[in-house]
Amino acid sequence: MKKVFFIITLITIISGLYSYSILEKETGNIIGNLDPHSAAMGSAVGAGGFRLFDSMVNPANITGLKNGFGFQGTGGFLIDSDNRSLPMYNSFDAYCGDAVYVSNVNTFADFAGGIYYKRAISDFELAASLQYRPQISFKADYFEQVRNNKNSDDNGYPPKIAQNSIESKGGINAIAFQIAVIDTNLFSYGLEVAQLTGDSEMERSVIWTPEAQDMMNDTLNDTINTLDREFSAIQFKVGANIHFSPRFDLGLSITPKVELNVTGDKDGVDVDTAVFVYTKYDSTGIPTDSLTYAQYILPMNARIGFSYKPRNIMRTVMNCDVEYIKWSDTNPLYDDAINYYIGVEHVLNNKIPFRFGFNYTTSYGLHEDSGFVFADEITTPTFTAGTGFTFLDKFTFDISLEYSNRQYEALDLFMDSYYDHEDLWENYYYLNLQDRGWENPDIVHETFINLKSAISFTW
Amino acid sequence: MKKLIIILLLTMSIITISEAIVDLNTATLQELKTQLPITEEQADDIYNYRFYISFFQSIYQLREIESIDQETLNLLKPLVSVSHYDEKDESAQRRDDIYYLIERLGSSEGLQEGMSDIWEDYLISPRNINKLAFSDILNLPNTSPIDVAAILNRVSVGDSISNYRDLRKSPGISYYGAKNLKNYIYYKEQPEMRDLYFDYQMKYNDSPYGDNEKEMYLESMIRFDPPNDDDPDTPVIKRQSYWGYFNMESHRASMMNKLRMRYKDQFKAGFIYETPKGSTPIFDSNSRTLFEDGKFYVGYENNINLLGRNFIKVYAGNFRATFGEGLVMENTDSYSPRKTGYGFNKRITGIIGDISRTQEYALRGIALDWKRNNLNAVVFLSSDKKDAVVYDSNENGELDDDDYILGYISMTNRFSNDELEEAEAFFNDYAGNENQVKIAPRLDALQEDIIGGHFEYSPFIGTHIGFTGYEAVYDREFVVPEEEELKGILIADDYYFDKWKITDNEITSMYSTISDEYGNRDYRRVVGFDWRTVLNNTSIQGEYAELQTDGSLGKIGDDPSALLISSYTQFDNIYLLSIYRDYDLDFDNPYHRSFSESERFDDTVFEKLTYGLNNTLLNDMYNNSAQPSAERGIYFETRYQFHQMLTLTKAYLDIWERKSDARRGVRAQVKLEFKPIHQLRFRLRHKHQVKRYDDEMERGKSQADETELKLVVYLSNFNKLQLGYVYARVLQPPYLSILSDPAEPGAPDMAQAQTLSDGDMIYLDYTHHFNENLKVIGAFSMWYANGASFWDFEDIELDFDMSDRGYKAWFNIHSRIANNVYLSLKYKYKQFLTRELEFREYNEIPDEGEYYFQRVEREENIVRLQLDWKF
Repeated sequence: MKKVFFIITLITIISGLYSYSILEKETGNIIGNLDPHSAAMGSAVGAGGFRLFDSMVNPANITGLKNGFGFQGTGGFLIDSDNRSLPMYNSFDAYCGDAVYVSNVNTFADFAGGIYYKRAISDFELAASLQYRPQISFKADYFEQVRNNKNSDDNGYPPKIAQNSIESKGGINAIAFQIAVIDTNLFSYGLEVAQLTGDSEMERSVIWTPEAQDMMNDTLNDTINTLDREFSAIQFKVGANIHFSPRFDLGLSITPKVELNVTGDKDGVDVDTAVFVYTKYDSTGIPTDSLTYAQYILPMNARIGFSYKPRNIMRTVMNCDVEYIKWSDTNPLYDDAINYYIGVEHVLNNKIPFRFGFNYTTSYGLHEDSGFVFADEITTPTFTAGTGFTFLDKFTFDISLEYSNRQYEALDLFMDSYYDHEDLWENYYYLNLQDRGWENPDIVHETFINLKSAISFTW
Repeated sequence: MKKLIIILLLTMSIITISEAIVDLNTATLQELKTQLPITEEQADDIYNYRFYISFFQSIYQLREIESIDQETLNLLKPLVSVSHYDEKDESAQRRDDIYYLIERLGSSEGLQEGMSDIWEDYLISPRNINKLAFSDILNLPNTSPIDVAAILNRVSVGDSISNYRDLRKSPGISYYGAKNLKNYIYYKEQPEMRDLYFDYQMKYNDSPYGDNEKEMYLESMIRFDPPNDDDPDTPVIKRQSYWGYFNMESHRASMMNKLRMRYKDQFKAGFIYETPKGSTPIFDSNSRTLFEDGKFYVGYENNINLLGRNFIKVYAGNFRATFGEGLVMENTDSYSPRKTGYGFNKRITGIIGDISRTQEYALRGIALDWKRNNLNAVVFLSSDKKDAVVYDSNENGELDDDDYILGYISMTNRFSNDELEEAEAFFNDYAGNENQVKIAPRLDALQEDIIGGHFEYSPFIGTHIGFTGYEAVYDREFVVPEEEELKGILIADDYYFDKWKITDNEITSMYSTISDEYGNRDYRRVVGFDWRTVLNNTSIQGEYAELQTDGSLGKIGDDPSALLISSYTQFDNIYLLSIYRDYDLDFDNPYHRSFSESERFDDTVFEKLTYGLNNTLLNDMYNNSAQPSAERGIYFETRYQFHQMLTLTKAYLDIWERKSDARRGVRAQVKLEFKPIHQLRFRLRHKHQVKRYDDEMERGKSQADETELKLVVYLSNFNKLQLGYVYARVLQPPYLSILSDPAEPGAPDMAQAQTLSDGDMIYLDYTHHFNENLKVIGAFSMWYANGASFWDFEDIELDFDMSDRGYKAWFNIHSRIANNVYLSLKYKYKQFLTRELEFREYNEIPDEGEYYFQRVEREENIVRLQLDWKF
């Protein structure tokens, strides 16, 4: 009688740390990987895979799991530190550095869960899984105080005149069904069909303080801008693994471009007509083409990776992936990018695995400056490490830490001229409250610390 | 008959028992499952252990498998055996044996500039010591001419060296000479080795630009307000500098891919493509840029019997050519102070394939090296485009092909010519910027065709005389204008002309192809001769070279010249090295790389006047200068072991005069090691340097002292702990601004002043080996430079940017993934303390109403990844 193994890999309470940044408040952060085992290895999991959520990268990866039923639970935690600075000039009027004028530290969490079943049927093995997971996050927060120049001579705190904030919530979740087969022990193929649904709410506000209202005799009006959207789409992903030998696997996956259906409004205007950014201007500077808030496209990506399991005095796995992202799908101004992932797992003598890795990813920011639209390439290097252990025979606990930092230029989120009211300031004639354009942009320095953990149960 | 049956039964039972014995190293999974009394899971574990961890050396290794307990082992003992089995080939085994040496070579790659590849080849495929030529042995690390002569004197009389002990007995060889050779050579029988080798290496590094380079890019290129001028203020816009214009804050990391191939020691090939920080990655390159910016070579080396034994080397593509003491030819972009040619400062002479990171001074063409008995001849041809500084000599407002060239330049960031032109146009057009760009670097601006050669005759072992020369033909003219005109080109405003000092003679003395003295030509020609002789335990060598200007080719002393003479004496416990050098100011040979204290253009406007240069990118003339400064001086170096516990590791004294301004300097350093027990070492280092020591009346006198005390503890399992403290003290003349009356800043109206800066640093680093294939190094250091600056030798690189106050922490994971795959991943965090106060004090207290910023932060996150695959 054939043995049937049931593996349940269950509820994953994901506390993951992703690039939840104010930079992507409109475009969202694509969540690439939810499994702490592979996250600790630089998210290099294009071939093989260790846990259920590795199939997010390549659906064929579920064929690498043991036969039977399984479920998994995961949890995680993300800290995003955002320091925004403005250019500083020396007494020769030469740019000499940047001074931090606002710092934000935010934390975020997410959840996901999945279940799968795998069994041998005749000469091949069949695996299927069902997952509920976050796919894109719109979570981002930004708070900034505006103070005037009173009391500064007395070494006192200048009064706060306004509170600026951007709060973005929501995300796009996936209910994903995956099916994969192993054929002749050499190839395995996988397909994922995911129903993407979700919403996002963003509010940008400038709230004047009572003190400011007093100074201006209650003539100031608060500003509140909102953007509410709902998203839906079906996404497909295909993948394959080639098991060249017990030492070497090659994996491939392709996710076609997906254009999401978007409904909602921006400050009461339907997103179909609300302009997100102008992409073309004529010679006189009049915009001729634009992207609206209703146009939301996930770019095509293709990934190829290998997994190498050499003979080593400590059990070792090395994974390497190269990913191609066709960013030009989302905007013609973006260049297509190549991301790199590499990771290693060593099982030390005391059976504790030591995992580490590195990845280097590229994304874009889109900017407009006086009739000239340009895309800024932003690269994010990430260093990762992690470990795990098995307990009560059937349970596995994995934990990973990912540390990223990146730097990019951006315009002031709340332009200075907005606060240009004579009664709000002392010695107003000294001041020159003008908007800073691209001639003096902000430098934003962000660091992300992402802690992911997962508990899997194998039966 | 009964006996026979019993014997037969016994024999059969023995055969049965012996058949039942399972060899753990060869059994299939099925055999493990069916022939041993263990569970399927245990059989799987045994199989996986053998497949993924190790072949069995002993059956007791089974206990390393979690599911095999002592009881199971006892059960298996009579049923299993372990045969000798190993899949490693001889090369892999050798790599295992010398892994620590390969790792050490890899870590010094930055300093050795490609030489470690050559040495690694020797380590993997050692050479027969009895058949090597003088230069072959001398090119190995840490061997001296005296050691080489000692070996060859034995071999030449028909004796042969049969083993290491025999090598040690060679009369005249030093203990260190023999010990260093040990792993690079074999004696009688060549170890069985593979024929074909491939090495692939990838490096990713996102280190930030250095302090000097960053200052160069940050400096404003748009200027309206020279002091005491009523012109409009300089616009405070970020794009007024190259840094802002090119958004260099977000420059992507550097990436290097290198592939080498070797068939035996005869056929060699290599390719390297490096994308420096901010450059286009390899995937975005087309075949043209791959060819132009990448480097490659194919080479053939072999003994050929043709009327006797000839050794031939032929290289096509990029090659390194180094002869003598590097006065005439040593083509590398990297500058190394006090490069003696001995010990760790070796230069590999002759021709080798070049896939180092050298770009500007790379030679590309074909080179032939022929050795026969006591003769050696080398001919090389190179044709390559070079980056150069072009100035608007015809004053048509454009930097085009009709303009003259000032000199070669190694650019920190090789912006394309289109990018540079666009930036210059922006700076020039900005509301009529007064600082119109008149001079700028250009990529591949110069076609350089070189023909060169070296001929060497060795009348007896240890003695040779050689002649080296090359002629570089250019398609454009090098012209250095007269001083006043040159100042007008180099310096943005005549207000700064006073900053031009006598040291700037080094700029005016650069080579011109059009000159009133010697007419017009389209070439540069450098010739020289070198010699060496070994007398007992002393080696005397030197080189003399001339750059032909108005003299005749065959006459000595009528052209700008350079001379270096050195002597090296060694005993078992002591050596003494003396070097005398004298380089003329006019000896402007771009391929000159001999011993010097400082690089060319040190202390000139290219270094000091960033803010006043017409184009700040000229800073790179100094930043990346590879030529030595014109100096005359004498240098002594020694090492002495007083006692087993006390060693003078290295001591040197250099006294020199800079030719451009006759400034004299002294630099001395002493390193002592006290080793009460093997595992514990105290190291003391003291450096003393004085510039302009000969003139107490001179304002430019400066003195620097640096003392370091280090404790090194060697722990078990090769783990190591180091703890150190560095104290630095700099005495120098003050800036005029601090001589001012505080109440009325500006005028130097105080009667006396002197600046003394002192700073210190502590550091701690720990190396932990989890096992022989996994090592982690972690370090922490904190410094308070206070006007001085520190440098730190991290595990695989030097960190020079440790000014102000700050701290850093880093760790590096060295993982040997497999027998032939190595991965190193380093992360460094560096934080300089907030500089708000310093900025504000320097840039005046803000007026009322101006903003204060609490944090002017400077921090660095650096990741460095290196992957080596040897197959």
